[in-house]
Amino acid sequence: MNSIEIKNVSYQYQPNKPVLQEINLTIKKGEWVTILGHNGSGKSTLSKLIIGLLKPKTGEINVNGIPLTQETVYDIRQKVGIVFQNPDNQFVGVTVRDDIAFGLENLQIPREEMIERIETYARKVNVLEYLNKEPHALSGGQKQRVAIAGILAMHTDIIIFDEATSMLDPKGRNMVLETMKQLRHEGKTIITITHTMNEALLSDRIVVLKDGRILKEGSSQTILKDKTTLEKSNLEMLLPLKVLYDLEQENYTNKRIKDLLWELSLNV
Amino acid sequence: MKNIVIGRYIPGNSFLYKIDPRTKIIALIILMVAVFMLRSLIFMLAGLGLIMLLLAIGKISVKRVYLGLRPLMFLLIFTFSFQILFNTQGTQLIDVTLHYTVLTIPLIIALFFFWMYTKKIIRFKLLYFFFIVSLILSVLIFIDVGYTLNQGALTIYSQGLEMAFFIMLRLIIIVTLSTILTLTTKPTDLNLGLESVLKPLKIFRVNTEEIAMILAISLRYIPTLLDEANKIMLAQASRGVDFSEGKLKDKVMQIVSLLVPMFIISFKRSDELANAMEARSFVPGRNRTRLQTLHWSSLDTVALSIAFVALFTSIALRIFV
Repeated sequence: MNSIEIKNVSYQYQPNKPVLQEINLTIKKGEWVTILGHNGSGKSTLSKLIIGLLKPKTGEINVNGIPLTQETVYDIRQKVGIVFQNPDNQFVGVTVRDDIAFGLENLQIPREEMIERIETYARKVNVLEYLNKEPHALSGGQKQRVAIAGILAMHTDIIIFDEATSMLDPKGRNMVLETMKQLRHEGKTIITITHTMNEALLSDRIVVLKDGRILKEGSSQTILKDKTTLEKSNLEMLLPLKVLYDLEQENYTNKRIKDLLWELSLNV
Repeated sequence: MKNIVIGRYIPGNSFLYKIDPRTKIIALIILMVAVFMLRSLIFMLAGLGLIMLLLAIGKISVKRVYLGLRPLMFLLIFTFSFQILFNTQGTQLIDVTLHYTVLTIPLIIALFFFWMYTKKIIRFKLLYFFFIVSLILSVLIFIDVGYTLNQGALTIYSQGLEMAFFIMLRLIIIVTLSTILTLTTKPTDLNLGLESVLKPLKIFRVNTEEIAMILAISLRYIPTLLDEANKIMLAQASRGVDFSEGKLKDKVMQIVSLLVPMFIISFKRSDELANAMEARSFVPGRNRTRLQTLHWSSLDTVALSIAFVALFTSIALRIFV
């Protein structure tokens, strides 16, 4: 079953300056897809289109088989959760508890169930002890995990991480990445939007965007090694992969070293 | 700047903290009306006594209330002096001549400058202020040496004195009452209470839930924006803007250099926040369930009854006394 089908979608903020052009993309249920691109490649616009914050100029988007229209947008938002880049600008509640509750209140979940869900998901992302804390008492990573708990509690099938780790320190980033891995095991469909390689590596499939078009699409293993594509889209290759690639160019044949480098890049 | 907390909620556990915020808001309004019903200084003094009793039972330190009154000190002094100097009803109590001579005028100016420069190091500023004022007055009254330039009269009437104390007490009581509300109620509870108190306005098609949401988000973002303002001030200071001193023209420039980035950042923030809220299925005006609920207890009934008793008493006093 397909979670998301994007057919021939284009978008522009200003006339004659297209941000996205003729995007075709299908994401299966339970798949983890990374949308990779440099600044201004249109990747964040794509996520806003999927959740109906923006309306495509042409083309159509289906979520869980339902076409995204003015009438269905509120239903679709119950299926798709999105974690944004800046942890401060998506913290609605005065406390962690209130913030996780915000989405649930919007979905008109009864109070008893709300309390239950808040506890479950706060425990899951490891913020249970901060439930009564205010946002300025939390670190960036903690705030971002609160945002994830808020989305998880809404029981969405699809979760989009829109550069969710780019403002975090390495520790906070690792915490969020761990949560993402866990979600994959539970069968959630995950879309990560990023310009860093480490995150892209974890996913099943990578879609490389450049100037509003899909430049390349393929499994993460093939894309990460694809030097020409990465160079074309101004993306930095992982160092061990760079070495591996150079060795392959030189017709280096020691399989053990090559495997080791590949392993190393997976654990960056 | 981080120390600024709007509402200044101080955690505690006296009965005032256990009263429902709705009760507190309604009782505040009732008591304010009651205070405005009172017409004589004696009743006002009795009211002040009751407030003091409330503070004592509610375990609120008078110092906290004083801190709430401090921003109004100028207004209090102004209305007090205004009544004393210009209210000419009742019997004359004091009539003294003020001597403006070649000796007293320089003396006053010297005292004034002395106060200007020493007030920073004195701890009890208000007391010190009154001390200097009384010094200046006694200079004018008792020193009649040197060539007299002008003579003024200081006359105080009984009604003036009474009205001065009356108005000052009324202001103090009202501010103290609202300070008690904000001191003992969490901002979130206050917001919830306000929302349900405003609910009747729905008849006039006022969207009270939206007002409550706006208030809640403002409360949420005050610390964040203060942080932001701090950062901008540091950034501007590193570019040479001096926020600590300067003439009026410089001050205006300083404020502009702070406000313009603040505006831009706030707009960007609100755009992102609106997106995040919509993405989490927020639809303005649509029904929402609530995590936080309010509970009416017998304590609230008692508190509200006491407020009503106070109101009826003051109405009765106005009619029959």
